[in-house]
Amino acid sequence: MSNDVLVFVECKDSMPRKASLELLSAGRQIAAKFSSSLFAVLIGSGVKQAADMVSGFSDKTIIVDNGSLADYGWDSTGSALQEIVKKYAPMIILGTSSMTGKDLFPRLAARLEAAMVSDAVGFDFNGDGLKIKKPLYGGKVISWIAARADSLLIVTFRPNSFAVNEPGQKGEIIEEQVNIQKNPGIKVISFTKAESKKVDLQEADFIICGGRGMKAAEHFSLLDGIGDLMGGRVGASRTVVDSKWREYDDQIGKSGKTVSPKLYIGCGVSGALHHIMGMDTSKVIVAINKDPNAPIFQYADYGIVDDLFAVLPALKDELKKVREES
Amino acid sequence: MNILVFIKQVADTEARIIISSDQKSLEIENKYVVNFFDEFAVEEAIRIKEALKDVEITVCTFAPARATEALRTAIAMGADKAVRIDSSKYETDDLLIIARILAAYAKNEGFDLILCGRQAMDDESANVGAMVAEFLDIPHISQISRLNMLDPGRAEVENEIEGGKKISEIALPALFTAQKGLNEPRVPLITGVMKAMKTEITVLDPASFDAPFGPIDNESSKIHVLSYELPAKRPSVRIIDGESPEEKAGNLVRLLRDEAKVL
Repeated sequence: MSNDVLVFVECKDSMPRKASLELLSAGRQIAAKFSSSLFAVLIGSGVKQAADMVSGFSDKTIIVDNGSLADYGWDSTGSALQEIVKKYAPMIILGTSSMTGKDLFPRLAARLEAAMVSDAVGFDFNGDGLKIKKPLYGGKVISWIAARADSLLIVTFRPNSFAVNEPGQKGEIIEEQVNIQKNPGIKVISFTKAESKKVDLQEADFIICGGRGMKAAEHFSLLDGIGDLMGGRVGASRTVVDSKWREYDDQIGKSGKTVSPKLYIGCGVSGALHHIMGMDTSKVIVAINKDPNAPIFQYADYGIVDDLFAVLPALKDELKKVREES
Repeated sequence: MNILVFIKQVADTEARIIISSDQKSLEIENKYVVNFFDEFAVEEAIRIKEALKDVEITVCTFAPARATEALRTAIAMGADKAVRIDSSKYETDDLLIIARILAAYAKNEGFDLILCGRQAMDDESANVGAMVAEFLDIPHISQISRLNMLDPGRAEVENEIEGGKKISEIALPALFTAQKGLNEPRVPLITGVMKAMKTEITVLDPASFDAPFGPIDNESSKIHVLSYELPAKRPSVRIIDGESPEEKAGNLVRLLRDEAKVL
């Protein structure tokens, strides 16, 4: 085993995901500490353009570009990744705690007998080793985890856990041919692409979230307008999703998605614990609620106590001004 | 047809958690529930049994004695048998070891289908399901939102993947993890609760069955928790001043730009 760091890069619309660039920036720090190399790995079909961009963030960029890898599968993508891991023998593999990451890495960890830490949010150096920061119990507790030094370590991180570095000099791109294995027990019948071209909720820098205080599905157009303006996403509390005002895909909280954007604005969100657990790691939290005793104010950085239907149009205008200035 | 459902008992959202003074362990208030996503797995197994009749549902957990309550909940809902693999001598931070134990149990017991929740609410790792499938060398599908049994050997499932929804036909045996929306888990009836009180829960020692998937002793754990700590606290909220909603919005945006620097 080397001391090298290998980052599994996920792509969306033929471009690397922001979360993967974050991992490369984190991987850079780890590789510097261990005086080792940083590898990016892209597995898919038509990944050369993405690889070119990624190469500015890594020492070497390894691609497996094959028509049969167009659609992700733990079997096919996993078999390709496994061969790359065998050949390059890294010390650590970094992935994203995304739907793909959650599906792929546990299986790979079992196959490779690797140490695995999932859904982490940071790391630090621990003498000669590495320690991984992972929240437990919806963020009520932070744990610091170490792996045995002689073991391959696989870590998946939540999106928005690290800042993205500026790209540097482009490194070498290496194309590998590998055997791709498909599981004979799985037959894909159909794939329906989600219509939204918007950024994923978990990757969004800006989230404006509606709660019960939004009162009706049609009022969410107020939030959609601000979300679009800011290039972010609209989230929803559990009550809102249970009332069918918004899709489950938008739900933030313990039974939905865990998000940590730069800026989270909760509108008419009371702040039930299961919701807080899904957004507590946001960098800045704003709450807009007419009830000054709403629990969400205990978790917020800034609060507006007022009628959100009066605040939101003004907020949109003010945000628009700032956008136009910059 | 044998369906195995793996469940986990987790601390309730409201449970108080205290970190020991040496930061090496946690004391969790005695408020435990069946993991939210596992309820969908139990419910789906019961629905398959109701549709196909000749089905036996075994619900299984790797846990200390307190989890008996979670198993009884699953029996009260409609599962047939409950098994607790005793974790007290095998406490580990390494989920791979737990997956080895559960996979070994499944292999010894035999099964056609394994169901579990998409992730546990306490550690949110989403690891054990796919790891068990890998050890058993069977296909898995993550976070399914629909399941149709086609004939005894095949199932059609819908699941959410990056960028959309996929429908696949899977040859059994297989493992599926349940997403919210797969069904509406039932609330146990009083008759179910009565039955659950009388049902004998099998308790197994992991050492009592073959473990063909690698070491399960704590010594072989590749992961260990160094310490626990409380998350950094946010300063108290700053309530934005202003005579009107418009003024408050303006002041907020200025602070977000100049002070918080997030715009």
